[in-house]
Amino acid sequence: MNDLSVHFDGVGKRYPHFSLENIHLELPTGSIMGFIGANGAGKSTTIRILMGLVHQDEGSVRVLGHSMPAEQAAAKLDIGFVSEDMRLYGQATLAWHMDFLRPIYPRWDQSYAEELARRFDLKLQQKIKGLSHGQRVKAALLLALARSPRLLVLDEPTTGLDPVARVEVLDELMAVLADEDRTILFSSHNTLDVEQISDQITFIDRGRIIDSDDKEAFLDRWRRLRLVLPPDGVVPRLPGVVEVGGSSRLPVLTTNRYEPVMVSVCNDLGATVQAVDSMTLEEIFVANVHSRRERLTA
Amino acid sequence: MNYSMVKSLILKDWYFHRRAILLSLAGGVVSLGIVALGGKAGFFIGLVFLISIIITIAATLVMNTLVGERENQTLAFVMSLPISYLEYTTAKILGNLLIFVPFWLTLVAGSLALIVAAPVIHGLFAFTAIMAVEILVSTCLMIAVALVTESKGWTISAMIAGNLAINVVGYIVAHIPGIANGMWGKAIQWSPAASISLATEFALIALLLGGALFIQSRKREFI
Repeated sequence: MNDLSVHFDGVGKRYPHFSLENIHLELPTGSIMGFIGANGAGKSTTIRILMGLVHQDEGSVRVLGHSMPAEQAAAKLDIGFVSEDMRLYGQATLAWHMDFLRPIYPRWDQSYAEELARRFDLKLQQKIKGLSHGQRVKAALLLALARSPRLLVLDEPTTGLDPVARVEVLDELMAVLADEDRTILFSSHNTLDVEQISDQITFIDRGRIIDSDDKEAFLDRWRRLRLVLPPDGVVPRLPGVVEVGGSSRLPVLTTNRYEPVMVSVCNDLGATVQAVDSMTLEEIFVANVHSRRERLTA
Repeated sequence: MNYSMVKSLILKDWYFHRRAILLSLAGGVVSLGIVALGGKAGFFIGLVFLISIIITIAATLVMNTLVGERENQTLAFVMSLPISYLEYTTAKILGNLLIFVPFWLTLVAGSLALIVAAPVIHGLFAFTAIMAVEILVSTCLMIAVALVTESKGWTISAMIAGNLAINVVGYIVAHIPGIANGMWGKAIQWSPAASISLATEFALIALLLGGALFIQSRKREFI
C-alpha cells in the first residue's frame, strides 16, 4: 500500500442529478495518470474528493498516506494543485504570490520558480489581472511546481489554452516527469494532451470508472479489424468486440482484447482481414464510452 | 489548528484591504472633526458620514474576503493550500474581526471621547456605545451569513437587515427608561439597562460567529 500515492476504495458521492459510484482508483507513486472523461463525467468531483474539498458519502480515500478528508491539511502540504477554474489574486503580482507561498511550503524552490518564470516568459512584477489566460495557467503551474510537490494534481489545466501555450505547458510537464518520485494525476477531455504525458489511463463516464490500464496496454489491446465477408458470411465471434460497424459485407469490428491470432481465426472462419488499424486514445475513449452506454440502455 | 496558515490568510486579507482601511480611517477622523467643529449641522452631517464609512468598510471587507473569494474563483487556490475548511473559516472570522475591529474601535473611541469632551452631550455616552456595538453586531451578521451561504444575494440581504436593525435598535434603546432618562442630560449615566443592552449585543455576536463556525464544521462541500 505504501507505494500508492492515491488510493480510492469504493468511493461514492451522490447529488440530486449526478452520482459518483463505487470509484476504485490506484495511482502508484511515480506514475502519471491521465484521467479522461467527457464534460460532466465526474473528473472534477473525483479530484475534489482527492483534495478533501468534497467529502465522499461512502468509501475511503488515502492520499500520500493520509486519510481524506480528515488529514487534508497534512496531505496538501505535498500536493500541487492546478484546476481550470482556479484563479490567482488579480490585484497582486506573481512575485507576491511567490512570497505568499514560500513560507508555507518547506520545500519551496525559489530558484526553480524564477527559472520557470523565465521559461514561461512571465514577469514577476506584473499583476495577475494583466495576464492572458495562457499566462495565468502558466503562473498557476509555476506556483504548483515550485512547491516541489510529491503529487501534482492537474484538473483540465490545458482547457482554453492556445496551441502555443498548450505545448509550453505540456513541455514543462514532460520536463518535471524526470523526477521519478513525483506522481501526477492529469485530468482532461483532450485525449491528445493526456496521451503525450501519461503512462496510465483511466476513463470515467457518468460517474463511473469504465476502464483503467497502462497506456501502452490500451493502445496494444484496442484495434479495429476491417473484414471482407463472403456472400452470406457471418461476422466472426471474436473476444472483446465492443462495436460492429461498417456494412454487412465489409464489417468493421472494434475489439479491446486484440491478439494477432485473431487474423488467422477470421481467415479460418471465412472472413478476410483487410486491415488491422491501431486506434488513437480518443478513438478508444469514444468506443469505450459508446459501448458502455449501449450496454446500459440495452 | 494550523495557526501559521491562519495567520498567513489573515495577513493576505489585510494586505489586499490595507489601503481601503487606512483611507476610511482618515475619512472617519475627518468626520469626527466635522462632528466636533461643525456646530449643530456639522454634528449630524459628520455623524452620518462616520456611520456610513464604518458600515461601508464592513460591507466591503465581508464581500471581498468571503463572497469575493468564491466569486473570483480564488477559493480553489486558497483551499489548495495545506489548510482545512475549519481553519479557513477561523481565518476568515478572525481576519475580518482583526481588520475591522481596530478601525471600528478607533472611530468609536474618538466618538466617545468627543462626547466626553463636549460640554453638553455627555448623556449620549451610553446610547452611542450601545449603537456602536450594534454596528459590530450587524457586521458579524454579515460575516456569518457570507460564510455560511457564500452568496452575494444573501449577504446583501443580511447587510440590509443589519442596517434596518440599527435603526430599530436605536429607536428601542432610545426608549428604554434606564437609558432614555439621562440621554440628553449633561452627565454620563451608565444604567443597568445599558449594561444589559451591551451584554445582549455581545452575546448575539458570540451566537452569530459560533453558529457560523458550527455550521461550517458540518459542511461536506467547499468548492
